[in-house]
Amino acid sequence: MAEEILLDVQHLTHVFPLGRRMSVRAVDDLSFQIRRGEIFGLVGESGSGKSTAARCVMNLCRPQSGRILYKGIDTCDRAAFRANRRMLQTTRQLIFQDTSSSLNQRMRVWDIIAEPLRLQHVVPPRGSLRAEAAFQMHYVGLDESFLDKYPPELSGGQRQRVAIARALAMEPELLVADEPIASLDVSIQAQIVNLFKHLQQEHGFSFLFIAHDLAMVEFLCDRVGVMYRGRLVETAPTAELFSNPLHPYTQALLSAIPIPDPRRERSRQLVTFHGENLPPGGALREAGPDHFVLRSLGSGED
Amino acid sequence: MAELLEVKNLSVSFFTPAGEVQAVRNVSFSLRPGEVLAVVGESGCGKSVLCKSIMKLLPRTARIQSGSILVNGADITGYRERDMHKLRGKLFSMVFQDPMTALNPTMTLGAQIGEAVRVHQPGLSGGAVRRRVLELMTLVGIDRPEERMKLYPHNFSGGQRQRGVMAIALAGSPGILFADEPTTALDVTIQAQILDLLRDVQARLGTATVFVTHDLGVVARVADRVAVMYAGRIVETGTAEEIFYDPRHPYTWGLLRALPALNRGRDSLYTIPGMPPNLVHPPAGDAFACRNEYALAIDYEEEPPMFRVTDTHCAATWLLDQRAPRITPPIGGAHG
Repeated sequence: MAEEILLDVQHLTHVFPLGRRMSVRAVDDLSFQIRRGEIFGLVGESGSGKSTAARCVMNLCRPQSGRILYKGIDTCDRAAFRANRRMLQTTRQLIFQDTSSSLNQRMRVWDIIAEPLRLQHVVPPRGSLRAEAAFQMHYVGLDESFLDKYPPELSGGQRQRVAIARALAMEPELLVADEPIASLDVSIQAQIVNLFKHLQQEHGFSFLFIAHDLAMVEFLCDRVGVMYRGRLVETAPTAELFSNPLHPYTQALLSAIPIPDPRRERSRQLVTFHGENLPPGGALREAGPDHFVLRSLGSGED
Repeated sequence: MAELLEVKNLSVSFFTPAGEVQAVRNVSFSLRPGEVLAVVGESGCGKSVLCKSIMKLLPRTARIQSGSILVNGADITGYRERDMHKLRGKLFSMVFQDPMTALNPTMTLGAQIGEAVRVHQPGLSGGAVRRRVLELMTLVGIDRPEERMKLYPHNFSGGQRQRGVMAIALAGSPGILFADEPTTALDVTIQAQILDLLRDVQARLGTATVFVTHDLGVVARVADRVAVMYAGRIVETGTAEEIFYDPRHPYTWGLLRALPALNRGRDSLYTIPGMPPNLVHPPAGDAFACRNEYALAIDYEEEPPMFRVTDTHCAATWLLDQRAPRITPPIGGAHG
């Protein structure tokens, strides 16, 4: 795998104001990198800031501080963004969680898939926009009979494929998928995860994959970052993280994965983690090759 | 042991402009007091309709076509709305999937639980209602209930809201609790806590639970018995051990093989090919036949009956017929 770093997030902080005095630090000093051709998973409970991080990466939120370098370009710098606008807008694509609200119900499937091409005035490489849409549909495993349908006529898994086809139409280099499988059935989840794996292996796409289903993350991702209350508490290659979790929150998260085996499952002990145990501050320390853990300042743990 | 709930040959249809949708077809099952039954299947297989038809919460377009529902031996199939009103909450109650929409955003949580308590015990004084609300909130694991009962649903996290919904459902001390995907909207850690709570409540109050889900992974923790549904029919039923260690129906094999925990180290996850059938015109024979790599010729012609494997374990597949060829199941037995 090439070691080229595609996305470099440095000390990203985003604060949502809540009225005059209160504010929420949704993302707090988050740093991670995604190499080209890699699937990076970001996991954590709801409200831990995963989606906000994704939105900052996609320029949908303006971070308070920190830098996001995409191919070495600071995407939060307005001048740099303007100079590279077209490249930034076409090579990064976002896939949302809920396809019943993210796809326009009144557009036909082929219109939805071809819309980004039209907006960016891309000359369709396969003749017409419709042919381009048909090609992308075939690519994600839908046949051409769906071209003239409307999103409500499709099942959840089919709609998610349309959303992926739409993202792929721009031939992106980085795909940001914000809980793309959370609302789907187990067998459909497997289809979508297989599709992502195929896209990575055969076509070299890089992913930022956001999920709370750790079993799927273990299967799909190359490296995983665990977020808790806006902060990254641990990051490691997937196999290392799942076999040797060091941070207590990661251990709690891993202990909650259901095992499809009644006898082992009933005797499984849940590890609980209380936020009060996590003092503010601290920095990521290297615990092993490519394995970093948040060590709090002045805490008793070594 | 006496059956608390017995459903016999229940068929429910929806009448839509496109035609009659046979959402539940010839379903029979029973539930004993204090038992947890998990109903598992893909979306659209009729598992929610099954619960709602027992509670008679179906829309006007739906009708129970045939079959009977017996509760404590009394047939409630023909009950009118007025009679059902007396049963709901006392005999059975329901926990819905999404705790955001199940609660009233303009009432405090304490008031909402109190409302449920008053409906079931109209004569109670204010102080007694308050005590009962605190008791219910403690039961479902909401700590510092005195403070929390004055808060509104938006002050609570998803898991706490789901606990509040459970407190409301338990207000009338029901004999049967229907939990319709209670953990689907929650993340993994909270999901595990809610499953433990369900199990704990069931053990302490002896409430029988029907747990509806699409994820076989979460079933292992809570269920005593499992019923797998496909296209409106129950295709396999057995104890949790039998379903996980010795599954017999090809659809159960497919559901189990799709779980990532059983695909560790493999290049791709197993997926069940094809799509669930259209229930307006269900195909002749076994509805699963066209997605089934083990389908026999007879599967396309005749619907398989329930074959008994053991006293508690049945499966509707022709593979269990004596004349069927012997095949090695792709899963099961290995981790028994």
